[in-house]
Amino acid sequence: MAVTEEYEAVTGAWGVGRVVVDGVITPWPVSEADIEGDIEGAVPQLASLGIAEGGLVLIVSLLSHAAQVFPFEQAAGRLGALYSSSDRSPFDAYRCASLIRQLRPTVVMGIDHRVLDGLEEAGRDLAEVFGPVPAVAAVDHDAHARLQAAGIPARWWLALGPTSAVQPLDDDALRYDAARWWVEVDDAEGDLVITDLTARLTPCARFRTGVRGTVPEPGRLILA
Amino acid sequence: MGDPTRRMFAPEIEAMPRSAIEQLRDEKLLGDIIPWAYERSGLIRETWDAAGITPKDVQSMDDFAEKVPFIDKDAIRSYRDRHNDPYGGLLCIDPADPATRGVFSAIFSTSGTTGDPTPVPYAGRGPSMLVREFWELGTRPGDHFMHCLFTFRGPGVHETIRGIGATPVFVDHQPEDIATLLRFSRELRPTGWYTLSGPLVMMIEHTAAATGADPAEDLASYKGVIFAGEPIGPRARAKVEGWGLELFIQTSLGDVGAATECAEHDGCHFWEDCAYVESLDPLGTDAVGDGERGELVSTTLIDKIAPLIRYRSDDLVRVTHEPCACGRTHGRSWPLGRKGDEIVVNGVSVLPGDVWPAIENVDETSAALFQIVRTGREMDALQLRVGYASEGPKGLADLRTRVADSVAAAIGFAPDIELVENDVLLRQGPPHKIPRVTKG
Repeated sequence: MAVTEEYEAVTGAWGVGRVVVDGVITPWPVSEADIEGDIEGAVPQLASLGIAEGGLVLIVSLLSHAAQVFPFEQAAGRLGALYSSSDRSPFDAYRCASLIRQLRPTVVMGIDHRVLDGLEEAGRDLAEVFGPVPAVAAVDHDAHARLQAAGIPARWWLALGPTSAVQPLDDDALRYDAARWWVEVDDAEGDLVITDLTARLTPCARFRTGVRGTVPEPGRLILA
Repeated sequence: MGDPTRRMFAPEIEAMPRSAIEQLRDEKLLGDIIPWAYERSGLIRETWDAAGITPKDVQSMDDFAEKVPFIDKDAIRSYRDRHNDPYGGLLCIDPADPATRGVFSAIFSTSGTTGDPTPVPYAGRGPSMLVREFWELGTRPGDHFMHCLFTFRGPGVHETIRGIGATPVFVDHQPEDIATLLRFSRELRPTGWYTLSGPLVMMIEHTAAATGADPAEDLASYKGVIFAGEPIGPRARAKVEGWGLELFIQTSLGDVGAATECAEHDGCHFWEDCAYVESLDPLGTDAVGDGERGELVSTTLIDKIAPLIRYRSDDLVRVTHEPCACGRTHGRSWPLGRKGDEIVVNGVSVLPGDVWPAIENVDETSAALFQIVRTGREMDALQLRVGYASEGPKGLADLRTRVADSVAAAIGFAPDIELVENDVLLRQGPPHKIPRVTKG
């Protein structure tokens, strides 16, 4: 059944994303093969937050995060779930709250302090907005703490260089895709550094992530 | 992908004879969309049943014009509230049906400028019709393309950029990302850009002033830029053209798509293989002629996920079906404003576009962030809420007088002016536009 008109897409470079560490922006081209691998890695991460057949994840992000976010959008489909989107900004916080109310998502991921600022400036109670959501994942310490203070058992979705780590519902540690990434602690700085284990359009060798933590075993990390 | 030197992306469609356009429209609309939607869309079924018609009553375009009832945003919201259906009765497939997996993949939302954002089911199947517009900008396979938007419209645009063989460069439509937009433009040399908006022009000006950047130098690689969200005022246009950018204006097609200028800049092309566009008496149901002011009423010819049929957009337009000098044969529209935005002050009609240039002309309010404060369609005085970047050399009272004088010179009478900082109005966005009319 053809439901919309379409043209044949070309293959090749998927897009130019970015990696941001301590405010320094590095353009980060990714290939379609990179994206396909990242989708495979995102499927168990999303499932660990409770997304399953018939579920819906609301992803709060910015377009500049597309290379890291698109794999999660596609992973939702592979799990038989839907996704929706709102911008990670105080101005778009009303959309985040509205979509939670209208669509009743299973998971909301990507909340930062600016989104919470926007909600609180609009007089919204965080417990009322996020309370009905089974899993809410924050992306910074401030948002994580404010959600916890509001009685929301916040999880983590943490940028880790070109990839990201997710805290499952049943683990204190965060999970990353150990089949494609090697994460270790830089002895000199105490930061986590990341290296790719598969060939990628933009090579990544001991890239400093700006995240401090420990790696008890491949695939699991604990924030400092 | 074909010959990269050709003018049109899909010339066999974009320049097809009018008789073929109309035959295709009839086949899609009467033979496919109408029976599909009536069978599956709760809102369409309810609306048609109330009008006492079925698809069997619509055998021709004359039948369509005479019998098919209208829907609008209020009807969708009403259905949503009455049936507790976030899709407003438009969804034509069952999300729980495994057969639809991969077809219905996501839920995006309207901008929410006039109320709660409306969820929009997304088919998620590759590039959209915007390939034709992106090609017209001059972008070709192998180029970089600046994708500067927001997330709530989904991945269709970056799939469309790849659909012409270009590589998207992702930048946020946010003040915080302007320096990166200028940097990536300088370093990656994109040839196309989707989208630029009034607030973004203001942000680029501010960033350039604060950092010493030269937008003309940083943006020199672009062959074309799509400007969308709201109309552009003459001052902002002059500023952008001074940076060396060629603007291609894009306007909404009543939530069934978009219409965009070609390089002739003589109206915005709407694709008649994708949408059936009517221009009707804004206060009635009769069609108005080509070139006359009417309300845009749109019907999808391709969306079978959540089809809109005879959707009254509230947009005032002028339409022509005459071929364009570019060789394209599809219709063109010129946006004139929003029907609901019009007020009448002591018998004089005022739309936001009537005061826009006057507000732009004052340096401190040159971003043209303003709202008409509306207490009803007919009012005794024009009340304007106007955003300012700085108070100016003589303070707010002097600024208020200068803005009032500028507006009075444009429309013939003085308005009441309330001044607020630009940020107060920008917060009412989505990032690419603000509500131009607010309730008093």
